[in-house]
Amino acid sequence: MEMSGEYSIDAPIAEVWAALNDIEILKVCIPGCEELEQVSETEMTAKVALKIGPVKARFNGVVTFENITPPEGYSIVGEGQGGVAGFAKGGADVRLVEDGDKTVLTYQAKAQVGGKIAQLGSRLIKSTAAKLADKFFKNFRDALVAEVASA
Amino acid sequence: MSEGIGARVLRKEDKRFLIGKGRYTDDIIEQNQAYAAFVRSPHAHAIVKSIDASAAEAMDGVVAVLNGAGLTGDGIGNIICGWGVTSKDGSPMNMGAWSALATDKVRYVGDAVAIVIADSIDQARLAAEAVEVDYEALPVVVQSDAALEDGAPQIHENAPNNLIFDWEIGEEDATDTALAGAAYTTEMDIVNNRLSPNAMEPRAAIATFNEADDHYTLYTTSQNPHVARLVLSAFYNVAPEHKLRVIAPDVGGGFGSKIYIYPEEIACLWASMKTNRSVKWTSDRTEAFLTDAHGRDHITHAKIGFDKDHKIVGLKVDTKANLGAYMSLFSSATPTYLYATLLSGQYNIANIHCNVKAVYTNTVPVDAYRGAGRPEASYVMERMMETAAREMGVSPTELRRKNFVQEFPHQTPVIMAYDSGDFAANQDQAMKAADYADFEARRTEAASRGKLRGIGFSNYIEACGIAPSAAVGSLGAGVGLWESAEVRVNPVGTIEVLTGSHSHGQGHETTFAQIVAERFGLPTENIQIVHGDTDKVQFGMGTYGSRSGAVGMSAIVKAMDKVEAKVKKIGAHVLEASEDDIIIEDGAVKVKGTDKQMLWHEVGLAAYTAHNIPEGMEPGLKETSFYDPSNFTFPAGCYICEVEVDPETGTTEIVQFVASDDFGTIINPMIVEGQVHGGIAQGIGQALLEGVVYDDSGQLLSASYMDYTMPRADDLPSYSVHHQSTECPGNPLGMKGCGEAGAIGSPPAVINAITDAIGNNDLSMPATPAKVWAAIQAASAKQAAE
Amino acid sequence: MTEVSMTVNGKPVKADVPDNTLLVQFIRENLRLTGTHVGCDTSQCGACVVHLNGKAVKSCATLAVAANGADVTTIEGLANGEMHPMQTAFKENHGLQCGFCTPGMIMTATDMVARYDANGKELTEAAIREELEGNICRCTGYHNIVKAIADGASKMASS
Repeated sequence: MEMSGEYSIDAPIAEVWAALNDIEILKVCIPGCEELEQVSETEMTAKVALKIGPVKARFNGVVTFENITPPEGYSIVGEGQGGVAGFAKGGADVRLVEDGDKTVLTYQAKAQVGGKIAQLGSRLIKSTAAKLADKFFKNFRDALVAEVASA
Repeated sequence: MSEGIGARVLRKEDKRFLIGKGRYTDDIIEQNQAYAAFVRSPHAHAIVKSIDASAAEAMDGVVAVLNGAGLTGDGIGNIICGWGVTSKDGSPMNMGAWSALATDKVRYVGDAVAIVIADSIDQARLAAEAVEVDYEALPVVVQSDAALEDGAPQIHENAPNNLIFDWEIGEEDATDTALAGAAYTTEMDIVNNRLSPNAMEPRAAIATFNEADDHYTLYTTSQNPHVARLVLSAFYNVAPEHKLRVIAPDVGGGFGSKIYIYPEEIACLWASMKTNRSVKWTSDRTEAFLTDAHGRDHITHAKIGFDKDHKIVGLKVDTKANLGAYMSLFSSATPTYLYATLLSGQYNIANIHCNVKAVYTNTVPVDAYRGAGRPEASYVMERMMETAAREMGVSPTELRRKNFVQEFPHQTPVIMAYDSGDFAANQDQAMKAADYADFEARRTEAASRGKLRGIGFSNYIEACGIAPSAAVGSLGAGVGLWESAEVRVNPVGTIEVLTGSHSHGQGHETTFAQIVAERFGLPTENIQIVHGDTDKVQFGMGTYGSRSGAVGMSAIVKAMDKVEAKVKKIGAHVLEASEDDIIIEDGAVKVKGTDKQMLWHEVGLAAYTAHNIPEGMEPGLKETSFYDPSNFTFPAGCYICEVEVDPETGTTEIVQFVASDDFGTIINPMIVEGQVHGGIAQGIGQALLEGVVYDDSGQLLSASYMDYTMPRADDLPSYSVHHQSTECPGNPLGMKGCGEAGAIGSPPAVINAITDAIGNNDLSMPATPAKVWAAIQAASAKQAAE
Repeated sequence: MTEVSMTVNGKPVKADVPDNTLLVQFIRENLRLTGTHVGCDTSQCGACVVHLNGKAVKSCATLAVAANGADVTTIEGLANGEMHPMQTAFKENHGLQCGFCTPGMIMTATDMVARYDANGKELTEAAIREELEGNICRCTGYHNIVKAIADGASKMASS
């Protein structure tokens, strides 16, 4: 399934780019994120707890950044194992465009799930995935704006 | 005789089910019982790189975690398909290896990679979650046509392009010539949707290894416990046959899905030996959707030709059959010998050719489901007939009637030799019951309410009574398809009948007793039917393909013939009469024309005391029979469905459903009608509601009752069920079989009715409101364009 | 673990069970009353229906602790020496084949009849079909179940 969105963020592009690479900010913004650890420049490990329909799962996964072109954007690719709940994998192309002193963030994401989440939650996956993506970028915008304001 | 053949005897087996004392596999608890949970692949196609069970093994209550390497290492054999089908170029079918626990590769979501044994079911499931399997995902293909394309993911190494076999039947050149010369032709693309059988009792198994005797006992949800034992010992090397007892206790429905020997039973037996514990596994519903063999899934292109008088001159059919990721036990026979051989329908057709490509995909194995091949054949034939009638502008009932086979025996060009039937009589009866004459008035009245009313017909024929052993052997079957019975008259005169048939809803404990009651003039309460236990019943091929009447009961009749012969000898000896003058009636052995008689129990006692039996006669009164049928049987009938479609929503309501069947002799009309009701409901389910859905990555999206639409009471009408029988000449009781007819005859009737209502022949199953609505829009767009 | 006590089929029972124990597990595994069946995992098939304080509930969607102190009737407790009129009606109308959904059907049916009776409503064929929304049968096509429930209703009224 594919999702996309666009957000106008009240912060200059450099700060948005920095935040996109700030593991502490990402950790706060990823819905259900319990752990996020940097293992290399471009690789992180994550633990994320999610509930899709009747299935609750804790995913252990690896997230990598690819196609990094500061400060215009990157691709973020992840894959997580949720035990018997199944697996989730996906990626998002994130693009930043300067808009005066604001920044427009757009993303195009793809996600695929397998196992019990697909079997029991199929009707809910698309809406849940769209909601989660939206929540992440909203959280991200809010966290960034708050940080800019407090700085 | 009120309890004999033809009587509506209430079922002997009902009481235990009604008071909650049925004994299904999951109700049984063995001493020292542990529980199994399977680790299943979430990927539809992947390499298994490693399995790390260390965390799971350390968990509370875990007895063992066992995998495929251990299983094959212990010499447990691969799961087999029991019917070899040869491609038209003479090459054998390309059967890929199927291990009960996957070793190197998984090929569908749900493929088992490990079995976890623990003290409790919760512990087993938690530990299964903790087994870490490292998969390398591979590209996936789920549709049969896509799987045949060049460059499609290769599922088994030995099946290039995923082609299992490319098989044909009939004369292609002659059929092409006939079609080329036809005055009218109709061509259609027809999909038979993939279904999940959904017996209400999920599959279950309890395996117990007894190390003292090196003996195994398996309780399992099986339609054929003896076949299970044979296959488990001869092919899977789980245990030698004499060291394995298989018991299928009360079984909560089968519909084909409980014929096969699945990985779980094999793994539980092996795990019981490895752990020295009883190992119990009970499927949950999602696991059932993931692992029970699915049914149907055909993609077909068909062409039928008629001469200027509307007589059929030829039929050409090309089918791709999706067999899933592995070849299940009967998977090769279902889309070939149980499908293409019925493509002549009820009609006289000189030229038929059918080509079937069987294909591997990354989906659950597909095998026989209620009707098995015959619903697919009937759906092709009856949609073609109805559509052709509409295209030629002739009456669909007249077109059929004009082409009916009327003389028997009738040899079709596709193996089958129909032995009996009166297709016009069934059609007449159904049309009368449906008040067809008044249909147009009903259509007009419905239109005044804004509803589209339509009527659809289906004249199905099927082949049951599977089957003459030599015949099926010559076609590739790995077993004989006879049935066995033992009739045991006890010293007190009560009778036990041990049968190789298995009842899982069919009411054998009643109908089988009725034929004994009829023969010896005894009350059914004195007759006990014993089945489902390899230690009690000598052998059996089990219940599927509507064979328990035509084959199973015939075996009982043959055994009763032997009992009767011995009883007459004893009677003649004791009553000092000629054997020819001895008759058996009303529970007594009598000398014709005299008042001399022995009561039935006196004969039993005489046989066992052996104080006064003919010289040289062995004591006792117990006879056995192995009955091998001489031909298939051919139930047939006419189904009429009448629907009302709401053009605003596309919702279909079935307002009338009429069935007129020819099942030959009917032992218990109440039970036969019940079989027809259930079959029709499954057929309507296929036509309107049910469909297995995989996404492109091979994930099963319809894996619970939230997403797989089971027919419920308010989706269905009451049915108007009738019989119009001709006796089957091929077996002693004249029976044809009734278990699958409803599911075979009903889908085309429903779809023909909807397409009649909406004026668009292009509609696929399940005809959901969305599809019907779209077809209505397409029809009106086309009309506007014209 | 939590101690639960309830009355099942007129008998007081008590056990320590894990908090997540479902009522159906408690009935089947602890009490060994195996007439109540499990046919799905999403509380849709109705094979597990029992009466909780006189009302039909799906015991697979009820925690055992939630039934603490309650009065539970299972299929085994429905008959009183001889078969309940609804059980008789299912037999006489051939309303069962494999028997697996039957206990849930009968518990739903008796509850249905009691509710319609209490509300003075007529239990029509359409009403019976609608009321069976939560019970799946794969064998009978429902035809004879609907007949059996109608017959059972009149048998219950006259008994």
